[in-house]
Amino acid sequence: MAALRNKSDQEIKDLLNEYGIKHGPLVDTTRPLYEKKLKEAMAKAKVPVTKPSPDRTFYREDQEEVTYVTYQTPVRSEGPSGDGKPYMRSRPEYSERDRVDDKPYSRSRPEYSERDRVDDKPYSRSRPEYSERDRVDDKLYSRSRPEYSSGRPYVDEPHVYNTLSSSSYSKPTPVVKSGGGVVKKENTTSSGRLIPLWIQFLVFLILAGFLYFIFTNMESAESSPFNRIQ
Amino acid sequence: MSTTSQKHRDFVAEPMGDKPVTALSGIGEVLGKKLEEQGFDRAFVVLGQYLLLRKDGELFTEWLKDTSGANTRNATSCSQCLREWCDAFL
Repeated sequence: MAALRNKSDQEIKDLLNEYGIKHGPLVDTTRPLYEKKLKEAMAKAKVPVTKPSPDRTFYREDQEEVTYVTYQTPVRSEGPSGDGKPYMRSRPEYSERDRVDDKPYSRSRPEYSERDRVDDKPYSRSRPEYSERDRVDDKLYSRSRPEYSSGRPYVDEPHVYNTLSSSSYSKPTPVVKSGGGVVKKENTTSSGRLIPLWIQFLVFLILAGFLYFIFTNMESAESSPFNRIQ
Repeated sequence: MSTTSQKHRDFVAEPMGDKPVTALSGIGEVLGKKLEEQGFDRAFVVLGQYLLLRKDGELFTEWLKDTSGANTRNATSCSQCLREWCDAFL
């Protein structure tokens, strides 16, 4: 990688224009920021070059579906015990996910560059699409469990991505991704939920019981409202 | 309308003059000290940086996080504060 530090101001400006990064004057205080942005842009631009699979270019849905299809056969051959089930269940969800994908993803675009910075390491080939999928997971998942995601600071979100991704994608990722060292590490938790399932059920039962209690203790309105006062 | 802090409202209400950098919304003692170490000892110097970045909120937020170690919330708050100040006085 060319040393950005040694380039002249004009060269940095040209590179910024090449990557389409909007910038202001290049001064000593703004230069480190633009160098960092260039580094991110170059790392991002490198990814499609190294990836071997064809037509990775346009449609994210297509690309993910292609990789998805290749997952299925290994899972099927593993056995019908319990592996196929959760996996097949996620399939119909997945087509939903594609359709709803646009809005959450475009909204999370600015966050994306942050996340990319965090995951700077070698398997850049598979990483960006992986984190894309995570984000989709989280947005939809958080919609169905608002009580958990509300009020949670942004810092916690990467953890949520990791746990969610490990729960739904724990099977395919070791199969396809060759550089999946980090992915294997994320598979350590068995269920991968932040709050265990039994606690969720317990809370739900308590809530239901409470509501039932209130309901049965409400005053019955059986008596006719038209009784004469005696 | 997003909730703004009293500090934000105070800052946006009048020209900043020579106010210290800690007068900016989102910049407290710790961040203020870090900015001063970098040479940004007054609010108008930070404003200068904001203007150099063409008043781009995202770029400024990123710069602030890199320079002072601010978290996203504080950086966004400062960025919004400066933007509103510029809308009013620039």
